[in-house]
Amino acid sequence: MPIADIAQSYADLVTTVFSSTIAAKAWFATAAVVLALVQVTTAARIYGKLSFLPERGPAIARTHRWSGRLAFLLTLPVFFHCVTILGFQTPDARVALHAIVGTFFYGVFAAKVLVVRDHSLPGWALPTAGLTLASMLGVLWLTSSLWYFTNVRFGF
Amino acid sequence: MGRGWRPILVGAAVVLGTFALAKAHPFEPSAPSTSSAATGDATRGAVVFERECSGCHGPAGTGGGVGPTLAEAGLDPATVTTAVEQGRGVMPAGLVSGQEEADVVAYVVSISTPSN
Repeated sequence: MPIADIAQSYADLVTTVFSSTIAAKAWFATAAVVLALVQVTTAARIYGKLSFLPERGPAIARTHRWSGRLAFLLTLPVFFHCVTILGFQTPDARVALHAIVGTFFYGVFAAKVLVVRDHSLPGWALPTAGLTLASMLGVLWLTSSLWYFTNVRFGF
Repeated sequence: MGRGWRPILVGAAVVLGTFALAKAHPFEPSAPSTSSAATGDATRGAVVFERECSGCHGPAGTGGGVGPTLAEAGLDPATVTTAVEQGRGVMPAGLVSGQEEADVVAYVVSISTPSN
């Protein structure tokens, strides 16, 4: 398949559901941010905070893991469109901030996944990595989805 | 070097890989797809324009937002198509695609034609 057709095929696929590829990205990112909030909340519970939530246990841990997996999957179409079709651009401060944070996002994600599995690291490493990742996702959402919803339109 | 460095090194490698891929952006459409104005419907394009474009270019492209005024700007179909497909300045690429792209290009060309 010619390279140009890949972008068009992607556009054709997402516009079966959304009005445009940008709208699709805005909603995928929004869903990922919601799941990131679930991640932060359940992580806080795992660390003994937010005692009004259900007891720490398998359900909280399972919710944390699956919200993370789903959030990651939801970012993949956004990654595909932003990185392989649009590329690194810096026409203004908003787009430049979005591009820079987006470039670092999967690096921090990879580091966080490794930190989870490395029990020899100090206790602060995992919450630091997790909060950094969630904050970066928040910045990416503010500089893209929120801009789209407030400047272009709020809809699918 | 201890194992503690592994997340940082792997993360840095992923950042570099992402940056290289973003600089290459291999799936960027290289040229406007078709002569969109020829196949688009300007009436339908007006609806799409008000929905997707007027937030930045103003109602009927008369300006007032972050985007330039399009009314009577003398734009040709290829220029509009390129802007829609590849973005320009703060305008993201791919706000519309397919038939909606063709329709909105036809509409923008129609409003950008100078009246005198």
